[in-house]
Amino acid sequence: MQVLTEIIFLLKKELLLEWRQKYAIGGILLYVISTVFIVYISTGEIRPPVWNILFWIIVLFASVNAVVKSFVQENSQRQLYYYQLAHPIAIILSKMLYNIGLLFMLTVLSYLAMTLVYESPIKRVGLFWLTIFLGSVGFSITFTFVSAIASKADNSSTLMAILTFPIVIPILGTLMMLSANALGLIQDTAYVKDIYTLIAIDGILLGLAIILFPFLWRD
Amino acid sequence: MKENWWKIIGIVLMLFALIFGILTPLKPGLPSVFPFNGKAGNPLTVDIQGYNTHFDEAKEQRVWLKLGDYTLGSSKLEATSSNLLRATFLTPAMLPSKDSVVVFSLVTDNEIDGASVMPSAIFVKQSVIDSAGAAQVWPQNSLDNLHQQAGIMFPYRNVLGETIRNLYYHVSLWFAMFIILAVSIFYSIRYLNKGNMLDDHRSNALVSVGVLFGLLGCATGSIWAKHTWGTWWTTDVKLNMTAIFMLIYLAYFVLRGSFQDEIKRARLASVYNIFAFASIIPLLFVIPRLVDSLHPGNGGNPGFGGEDLDNTMRIAFYPAIIGMTLIGLWIADLRYRLAVLADKVLDRI
Repeated sequence: MQVLTEIIFLLKKELLLEWRQKYAIGGILLYVISTVFIVYISTGEIRPPVWNILFWIIVLFASVNAVVKSFVQENSQRQLYYYQLAHPIAIILSKMLYNIGLLFMLTVLSYLAMTLVYESPIKRVGLFWLTIFLGSVGFSITFTFVSAIASKADNSSTLMAILTFPIVIPILGTLMMLSANALGLIQDTAYVKDIYTLIAIDGILLGLAIILFPFLWRD
Repeated sequence: MKENWWKIIGIVLMLFALIFGILTPLKPGLPSVFPFNGKAGNPLTVDIQGYNTHFDEAKEQRVWLKLGDYTLGSSKLEATSSNLLRATFLTPAMLPSKDSVVVFSLVTDNEIDGASVMPSAIFVKQSVIDSAGAAQVWPQNSLDNLHQQAGIMFPYRNVLGETIRNLYYHVSLWFAMFIILAVSIFYSIRYLNKGNMLDDHRSNALVSVGVLFGLLGCATGSIWAKHTWGTWWTTDVKLNMTAIFMLIYLAYFVLRGSFQDEIKRARLASVYNIFAFASIIPLLFVIPRLVDSLHPGNGGNPGFGGEDLDNTMRIAFYPAIIGMTLIGLWIADLRYRLAVLADKVLDRI
């Protein structure tokens, strides 16, 4: 119960911090829009399969960039202060929850920016929204945890990319399958199984992150 | 000597796998037949290429065209060499099938080599389709009285040929790699629990051996692929998975290299090792649903079972896995001792 109140409190702190440093979130949103525009300039018309790939690549890179700052932006003294006040599980869970929101917003924005320049190829709207929600959850769990590792090193943004990309491939592959379904590229009636797979992967990673994080923060 | 028993077992098993795996001959087989097509009603003369066969020495050489239960024996046989047999079939004008082109298997049998089958060997075209009439003409024979071949031999498979032996070295490398990486996870967990620096050294040594085995597995697979698939590297699922594995563990080394403080390094590397390994396991379940594989056992390809992995092959395969694993653990042990010694020297300075 105490962890829950701590999580809510820390979430409020994250939001407040984001509100005070508006340029950080503005930077990420601008990142998405400029990437979409660069893709648009260099490709012209694209077919739905290419749309699917480009969309998820843009979301992947933008997400890594958005999450990498979660543990870097606050200096280590202040982090030590948090760790003394709150349980480490509360800290990682609040960061993950916050990042789920952030990445979901970012994905929606990427989608809107893509629809602005290309025609939206989506056939099954419900499935697509479910997919991007599950995607934000999966990305958030993986990236938040790895950013906690990477933040301890000096070259954290390079490290972040090389550590996360191979790990996130199962999630990304399943997401692309689901999204291809939503775009009507493939007619797979067994997509429910993919959703379960995704939830199972998220569950495994979340469980591991909760178990392993207490080992991580101690310095 | 007493504590080194497992190294000796490793060497013995590996030597056994090498000697037995390389020296045991393959069963006789039929790599090719020419010409592979003909017309129903005309006499069909084909040259059958054998492998490890004894066509010229055999006294009771027999050859059939086979389609289901219908078989047609050859009318004339002439062995020009031990590996070349010329057979003539007098095909009836009507074939026991409703298709205009019928695909027959070729079966050979003699008392030295035993029976060999070449599936989908000969395409015969028929101009008059009358399967009911053909059923009267064609002899039915379930070929029960075939010879069994004696001796210990590996199965002959078309396309694979001698490269079937790669199973003992290529596949067992992957098994060994998985086992070694799993052991390294064990030591990572133990490090996080107990905080003993020696466990981290062990874990690191095991990961480096795992990566070495992965690279060797890639190399042996690549050479094999050049022979059977005709290319060094394709976009096959298992190859992609290998690439992902290598990326993860190379990133692991970069992560280790990023920290000067060894306690911090040990802790973070252990955490990443566990997290990465666990996140890759779903790949084994997810990826097979994404695409088909060229590997045996995936995407409709015949698996390692039945004729692809018979008991003779198991005699070499299982010792190879155990031997490879033990040798890998030995190499890791040497690396670990080297790391511990280096630590001691640095401490003295």
